[in-house]
Amino acid sequence: MSIYLRNIIRFVLLVLIQVLLLNKLPLLGWSQPGGIPPYIPFIYPLFILLLPLSTPVWFMLVSGFVLGATVDAFQNTGGIHAAACVLMAFSRGRVLSALLSKRQEYQNMSPNIKSMGWAPFLTYSAILLALHHTTFYIIEIWSFQSIAYLLLKIVISLLTSMVFVILYSLLFSTSINTVYFDN
Amino acid sequence: MRNFLLLIRRYWNLILFLALEIVCFSMISKSRNMQGMDIVSSANSAVGYLYKKQNDVVYYFQLKKLNDSLLAENTRLRNELSAVSNIDTFTEVTARIPVTVKTDTTIARKDSTGIKLIPTTRIKVIRYADYHYIPARVINNSVSNDRMNFITLNRGSKDGIEKDMAVVTANGIVGRVSNVSDHFASVVSVLSDRKVSTKLADGTANLFTIWNPGSPEYVITEKVPLHIKVKKGDSVFTTGYSFFPENVLIGTVAKIDTLKATNVKNLKVRLSTNFRSLQYVYVVSNEKGEEKNKLEAANNKK
Repeated sequence: MSIYLRNIIRFVLLVLIQVLLLNKLPLLGWSQPGGIPPYIPFIYPLFILLLPLSTPVWFMLVSGFVLGATVDAFQNTGGIHAAACVLMAFSRGRVLSALLSKRQEYQNMSPNIKSMGWAPFLTYSAILLALHHTTFYIIEIWSFQSIAYLLLKIVISLLTSMVFVILYSLLFSTSINTVYFDN
Repeated sequence: MRNFLLLIRRYWNLILFLALEIVCFSMISKSRNMQGMDIVSSANSAVGYLYKKQNDVVYYFQLKKLNDSLLAENTRLRNELSAVSNIDTFTEVTARIPVTVKTDTTIARKDSTGIKLIPTTRIKVIRYADYHYIPARVINNSVSNDRMNFITLNRGSKDGIEKDMAVVTANGIVGRVSNVSDHFASVVSVLSDRKVSTKLADGTANLFTIWNPGSPEYVITEKVPLHIKVKKGDSVFTTGYSFFPENVLIGTVAKIDTLKATNVKNLKVRLSTNFRSLQYVYVVSNEKGEEKNKLEAANNKK
């Protein structure tokens, strides 16, 4: 399968999973005051996480913007997702270069569990997802009045998102079993 | 210029990033105010189509939940219905009963032989009595007391009921309001030692009907002069002399007792109102009754 087609399919699939399933499942902790507020896990940033390493930064930025804007259209959030995604795409290279010391070895592949191993991949996705979630919730809540609430939302949303990222990785690990090259 | 281009080229990614972020924030700020044009919103047709498809699918998963909620809704509505079904839904009506008299007059008619006077009988409406009917529900009823039987209605002074108003049903008389509270009225029913001004079908008035303790089905119209012809099955009506509206059916004559000693007949009248199963009644307010009473009271003073 062509790497372009693969990424296009992944884009569509992730957006559909996000807007048709996860957005419909606002997770309520317990419905008491002081309980965990309702929140949504985000899985669509995985598209940016799984883009091949050799993707040019401008393409990552633009695709992040398009991805975020698509989810924004479904969630009526204006451009919050887009802003978070663009920020995430911009910082992806720095996180990757910090995590992968010898970058040349990985030049032609996509960051995933098989190519990176569990711990680096989860660290990588956790950092970028934390960035995405923090940006998203700060813009959405737009106040530091109740910082504990903000942090609570970020942390629980991040934890659930990570669960979904792991599930997705396990589910599609056969398809990303082979290290493919983009040329 | 070349340096500038090089600068742009060098920081191309950063510039693109900042530009995209600016676009994002302008989108956010536009979507946050009311007039903002939402290009990126679920109002556009593609997103709407997808959401509709998703809803079509999810609809099936929710059928059970939907059923349950409909059931709950049904139960709630049934409860509400049972709560209101005991309340009468009669509307208040104003009856305009024409009071008529038969007049014997003659009409002059020109003939070939000259002017001829032809006697005619025509019915003439002399006045309209304005009666206001207030529907009420019987919430307590007694028929078994020996002297006085009372009925309690679910309407009171807040509904416009006053003391001494007449109470009737669609097919007969019931009684007279004796006491009124805010939301209830008690009625002395006809089954009491209270007389009802009566007239017969042929117009004989100045009679009275009274209840004899015992059966709640019969009352007695007393002291009908012997020369008045009364048959079994004749109707007996109220007069407008008293508080009842005129021409309300009291009942039909069931038995005629002739008392030779006093030269009168007593008519046993079967009440047209079934007091045993009284449910809905009308309280009648005579809008000209007060005026009439005042006038009559003025006569009594002299």
